[in-house]
Amino acid sequence: MMYLRHPITRRVGEAVLTLVGVSVLTFVLLRVVPGNQITASYGTAAGELSPEQVRSLEAYYGLDKSLPVQYFDWLRGVLTGNLGVSTTSHVSVAQLTGQALPNTIELAVLSILVGLLLGVPLGVLAASRPGKSRDNLTQLSSLLALSVPSFLLATVLASWLANNFGWYPNGEGFRTLVQDPGLNLQQMILPVLVLGISIAPPVLQTTRTAILAIRAEDYVRTARAKGVPERRLQTRHILRNALIPVVTMTGLQFGFLLGGALVAEQIFAIPGIGRQVLLGLTQKEYAVVQSTVLIIATMFVLVNLLTDLVYRVVDPKARVR
Amino acid sequence: MYKVSRTGRRALSAGAAVATATLLVAGCSGNASQGSGSAGSDSTLVFGITADPTQMVPWTSTSEQSIQVLSQVYSTLLDTDADHNPIAGLAELPKISADGMTYTFALKKGLKFTNGSALDATDVKYTFDKIMDPDSKASSRSYFASVAGVQAPDPNTVVVKLKKPDASFPVGLTGVNTGIVPSDVAVDSLETKPVGSGPYQFVSRTPNESITLQRNPDFSEGKPGAAKLEFRIIPDDQSMVSALKTGSIDVAVFDNPVTAKTATSDKVKVDTVSSLQYHVLQLRAAAPVLTNVNARLAIQCAIARKEVVDSAALGAGDITGPITSPEFKSDPDAQPCATQDLAKAKDYLAKAGKPGGFALNLITSQGLYSTAVNEAQNVQAQLGKVGIKVNVQTLDSNTYVQKWLAGDFEAAIAQNGGSADPNTMYARYFTSTGSYNKVAGYSSPELDKLFAEGIATTDTAKRQAIYKQLSDQLVNNAAWVWLFTPKEFIAVNTKVKNFEARSDASLSTLWKASLS
Amino acid sequence: MSAATELNNVPDVPIDATRRKRAWLAAFRTPAGIIGVILMLLVLVVALLSLFGLTPYDPAHQNVADSLKAPGSGHLFGTDQFGRDIFSRVSSGLANSLRIAIVSVAAAAIAGTVLGVLGGYYQGVVDRIVGVVTNVLFAFPSLLLALALAATLKRNWLTVSISIAIVYLPIFARVARGPVLTLRTADYVLASTAIGRSRFSTLFEHVLPNMRGILVVQITLSLSWAILTEASLSFLGFGTPPPAASLGGMVYDAQTLSSVAPWMLLFPGIALIVAVIGLNLLGDSLRAALDPRTGSRR
Repeated sequence: MMYLRHPITRRVGEAVLTLVGVSVLTFVLLRVVPGNQITASYGTAAGELSPEQVRSLEAYYGLDKSLPVQYFDWLRGVLTGNLGVSTTSHVSVAQLTGQALPNTIELAVLSILVGLLLGVPLGVLAASRPGKSRDNLTQLSSLLALSVPSFLLATVLASWLANNFGWYPNGEGFRTLVQDPGLNLQQMILPVLVLGISIAPPVLQTTRTAILAIRAEDYVRTARAKGVPERRLQTRHILRNALIPVVTMTGLQFGFLLGGALVAEQIFAIPGIGRQVLLGLTQKEYAVVQSTVLIIATMFVLVNLLTDLVYRVVDPKARVR
Repeated sequence: MYKVSRTGRRALSAGAAVATATLLVAGCSGNASQGSGSAGSDSTLVFGITADPTQMVPWTSTSEQSIQVLSQVYSTLLDTDADHNPIAGLAELPKISADGMTYTFALKKGLKFTNGSALDATDVKYTFDKIMDPDSKASSRSYFASVAGVQAPDPNTVVVKLKKPDASFPVGLTGVNTGIVPSDVAVDSLETKPVGSGPYQFVSRTPNESITLQRNPDFSEGKPGAAKLEFRIIPDDQSMVSALKTGSIDVAVFDNPVTAKTATSDKVKVDTVSSLQYHVLQLRAAAPVLTNVNARLAIQCAIARKEVVDSAALGAGDITGPITSPEFKSDPDAQPCATQDLAKAKDYLAKAGKPGGFALNLITSQGLYSTAVNEAQNVQAQLGKVGIKVNVQTLDSNTYVQKWLAGDFEAAIAQNGGSADPNTMYARYFTSTGSYNKVAGYSSPELDKLFAEGIATTDTAKRQAIYKQLSDQLVNNAAWVWLFTPKEFIAVNTKVKNFEARSDASLSTLWKASLS
Repeated sequence: MSAATELNNVPDVPIDATRRKRAWLAAFRTPAGIIGVILMLLVLVVALLSLFGLTPYDPAHQNVADSLKAPGSGHLFGTDQFGRDIFSRVSSGLANSLRIAIVSVAAAAIAGTVLGVLGGYYQGVVDRIVGVVTNVLFAFPSLLLALALAATLKRNWLTVSISIAIVYLPIFARVARGPVLTLRTADYVLASTAIGRSRFSTLFEHVLPNMRGILVVQITLSLSWAILTEASLSFLGFGTPPPAASLGGMVYDAQTLSSVAPWMLLFPGIALIVAVIGLNLLGDSLRAALDPRTGSRR
């Protein structure tokens, strides 16, 4: 019983509980939303189906079983490695995810990179003279970036570039990084820019706040008093420590981005995981939505768990809960 | 024709394509007219669609995208001409027995599926039997409602016996969802790898991204114009426009005139086509508030249809009466109030015993087609002028479909499918035993009689007279208020040659198109 | 905006009661705070016009003869395809955004805080349950959660608010839990229980009032996120259903027409951005004012 009380075991236990909760929530939500796969795919034509047809369709889609049976059938499948099959494209969810997930991961990684490249230097800049004009300027641009809805930015950017420069790589069929790296990277530019711009402000703020906080710490004052050179002080003592919270929050952002940058994927035609869920949702592809959301949540929980563990190692204070 | 939103983004129709109303007229592989594409070209023709097709077996197809893709892979027994009338397809036009109960089809010679096996009467019988199977998933099953049995006396002859005369039967055979499938390939395998006899043959599919087809050298009507045909999924309309402008896709269909206009350039030409579909304000006479015919007529008189078209559809439509079938078309002005007449509307309200107007619940959908919500808002504003207080309920597509099917509404904004045959269009709504009579909420002995006469008559002139009366019955009783037939816009890159824009944006002649 | 942003913006605010009053006022003396207040007053005035029926036109009134008129005399912001007055619709759209933002944030703040406080104060099983609920809601992709919820319910402004509230609930639960952990062992709280006060009254008398600062900042920031979320939902077709005016929906409708009537896109877009900037400025100033580590200046 000692193990159960160990913080790490407890975190893992919590993670499992969370995933069960997510799967139940997904399952319930899907059933509460009006309509089922029959009305979703036949639309008003469903009115012309005979009762026999409806019955055989219900059996085909697995709707004839009771709800608990449906849930545990799906859960058993997942535990034995069978995530289910999309009944519209007749491809397994595992295969669908295998295609979509790398695209989403690529999008997330690149967006985070852009967010960090914009946010960290600007954060350092802002913190260098708090309250002065460059601080105010960066704060203002960060505020603007936070306040412009990404759907607005995305559509305006896309149509402006296509209309005035005839450049719109996302109209070409999507190519993965492996198939055609050149085209793939071009197709990533716009969505990454839009997402990066929305990630940069919190990175900037975290960096700035952390630097200001650490600068006021005793050990920095002590180091300065002991005559540690200013440049070394800034990089070794301040920036390095300030980056710890930035790393934590980057991990968190990454987890969320994996959940699908829905708007960006939709507008820029990136076949990622967000669109996969959305598609499943509108088509009432229960297995697709349940399994994909579970995969997203698992990744999210794992990333969090890892950040947490890393944090525990880096910062001894965090070990005490 | 199942109608579907093209506004991918809003629609969440990312998902795709839910049918609003039934029926399918889009022909399959085109007619025998000349015009083989520039044969030497081996480039790829790219067609932009907003969502992944949801069905791959012809008889289950309901979504617009499925119909577009499958119409290139499968052929139908009969095709349609530009006016949607049946013409020879895989078979010549049928010989009909004197009693109108037996249809005999002679198949063309040397037909082949793309897997090399011959297409003969067995395959036709197999397909039709599959559709009529009570357990089938066929959306086209109702077309065969009057069929007693299908026989294949020899490889080139198909005989269909009816239970009762049905003049509308041949029209059903032009739809993609009666496309002929090979009898020696398992249906399950068709789901992932379609095998047909259409102009193009299936090569590969990447879910959510694209479907690639290649030229079928054995296509019975000629050599398809492009070596490859790719259907590429671009969910967002604005992205679609951008892709057209930069030349990465060659063809796309829009229903919004302004979007179509922004797509137009020196490299992109836009054709406007009409449609057999119709937009309508469905009134349920069965609902207490609309039981009185004068209440319904008041609504008809209070609505300026032109204004609905101009505001909600930005002018992209033609005012219509009930029947849109070219040969039987209703006169749009033959109704008690051809134009808005508020004084008359108030008279009718007074006659209905509600001089001050009344409250009306109106359902409309978001995500089925782009103008639905706009139409509801405009109808609401117009009816408000005579004191009819409209409460608009905007529902998502699934909820709308469920309420619509259950007849759980007073009034509904709908876009319904048309057909070359008026019986196919309306018998299911307005005969007392029709499958959608609960949805329509109106029937009468007069209508039942007219429908019965119309279907039992084969002479076109006589049928025209019958359907004229039928149409009058519908508008004089204001069963519904018919608004307009929409226009569609087909944007085509100028390097595409021999593309023939057809009404309903039917792709039946797409095979002739080639790239220069 | 992702929920990660929100989580990270959880303010670090002292729970020291003595500083509170002056700090509050300080927030409104900075240039940013003043601009924030001015922008929000502007937004409020415009929104209130529609609430009291003082807009130049009925926002739903159609006059097709006047459709797509450019901004100018008669119609300050121009008209849309139905000849409706854009200014009146922006006003009513702002009112709608604010109403949804206020209701959803209030619901999320109350429910979330109660959960967080209960978890933090009682710990043990209660805390675990609260923890699992918040974890589940966090792990669920936020926009998809709102979408699924919005599709579930019969859609009107209230149900949209509830969907947004559920997405934001866990943030408040976490924000509230932290300080309670510190406070429950604070001397004066221990003293209060020691002299025989019940745990409940201790909670209400000592713990909750001390969290006011942290909550106010979180609420201000959440309001701006709620406005953006509602706009994104409407843009995707899952927000406030027409014919009610919604800024996101107006932007969506305007897109196809933006080449012929750019004002249809411009004004709702600006209104949206102004409201969000105003709330962000206010929230930032409050946070800066209440956070000793960054000093009273931003």
